[in-house]
Amino acid sequence: MKMKKFVLPLLSAGLLLTGMATSSTVFADGRERGERNERNERGEREERGDRNGGRTVPPADNPAYKQECSSCHFLYQPGLLPARSWGELMMTADKHFGESLGLDEKTVKDLTAYLTANGADKQTNMRSRRIADSISPGSAPTRITEAPYIVKEHRKISKETFSRPSIKSFSNCGACHTKGAEGNFEEDFVEIPKK
Amino acid sequence: MKRSICYLLAAAVFVVASAGFAAAAAGPNQQVRSLLDSYKKEAGVKSFSADEGRKLFNSKRTHSVKKEERSCTTCHTADPKQSGKTAVGKVIEPLAPSVNKERFTDPKKMEKWFKRNCEWVLERECTPKEKGDFITFMMTM
Repeated sequence: MKMKKFVLPLLSAGLLLTGMATSSTVFADGRERGERNERNERGEREERGDRNGGRTVPPADNPAYKQECSSCHFLYQPGLLPARSWGELMMTADKHFGESLGLDEKTVKDLTAYLTANGADKQTNMRSRRIADSISPGSAPTRITEAPYIVKEHRKISKETFSRPSIKSFSNCGACHTKGAEGNFEEDFVEIPKK
Repeated sequence: MKRSICYLLAAAVFVVASAGFAAAAAGPNQQVRSLLDSYKKEAGVKSFSADEGRKLFNSKRTHSVKKEERSCTTCHTADPKQSGKTAVGKVIEPLAPSVNKERFTDPKKMEKWFKRNCEWVLERECTPKEKGDFITFMMTM
């Protein structure tokens, strides 16, 4: 008898949850419906987490890329810059921001293919889309930290904060984005070191 | 029963300890030894100097373009047993084989990093003598 008392509320809670999940799936497909009500909906949709491809930038999964590019810096996901930017960057691999990388020709070719195939403009996740949309079609910035969307999202962080010893640079994503390596750049997982 | 467990434990401890000792005493592996031999041949020397290696590790130089002072210690810190940090904040594991047993075990990796890092500090590749001295110094750390 006592059991029965619980069954009804449990059932209705379950139904409610299912309903919520279904409605967010419908919202996730919002892009299909064109840009109608874009202004009203975009905020809501992104709040909930989707613009088709979720909010996570797919993690870098190419072994050569990991090996060659993450010894010195954060393993930037290809989805953090448009393909044309990666192309530009790899064309100057012998002078990578003024430093020699010592990569052989084949490695440069392989890395270029991987990076350009997975650039921000080829992605469906919200962050990559916003990065790609923020860069004017005529330009190909080679620094992620110069993409207008990235600049905007960090506008409240001072230069002094970036130069703290445990952070050192705006380029050091992983210093504050505790799940950055997994492509999760949500504010909930940001912890800015005090020193 | 208890006694036999004791014996077993003691034997296990002995095996692990002696394996560790053997690894530490072995120094560079076969591949690295032949790399050092080829450096010797190229440099025309009979042996390398840990002291010269130490000097190279600590020597500072101003980069001609970047106009900043650079040395191995800029990123690796002055103590090879400590971990360091790259210019953009990525942690570098210690260089000293005594605390990081993966160091100086893979000739391909060693050559790659000598090339990259000698160019970063010295704006040129290191000579076989410099590389031999550097490795010899690190082996003493």
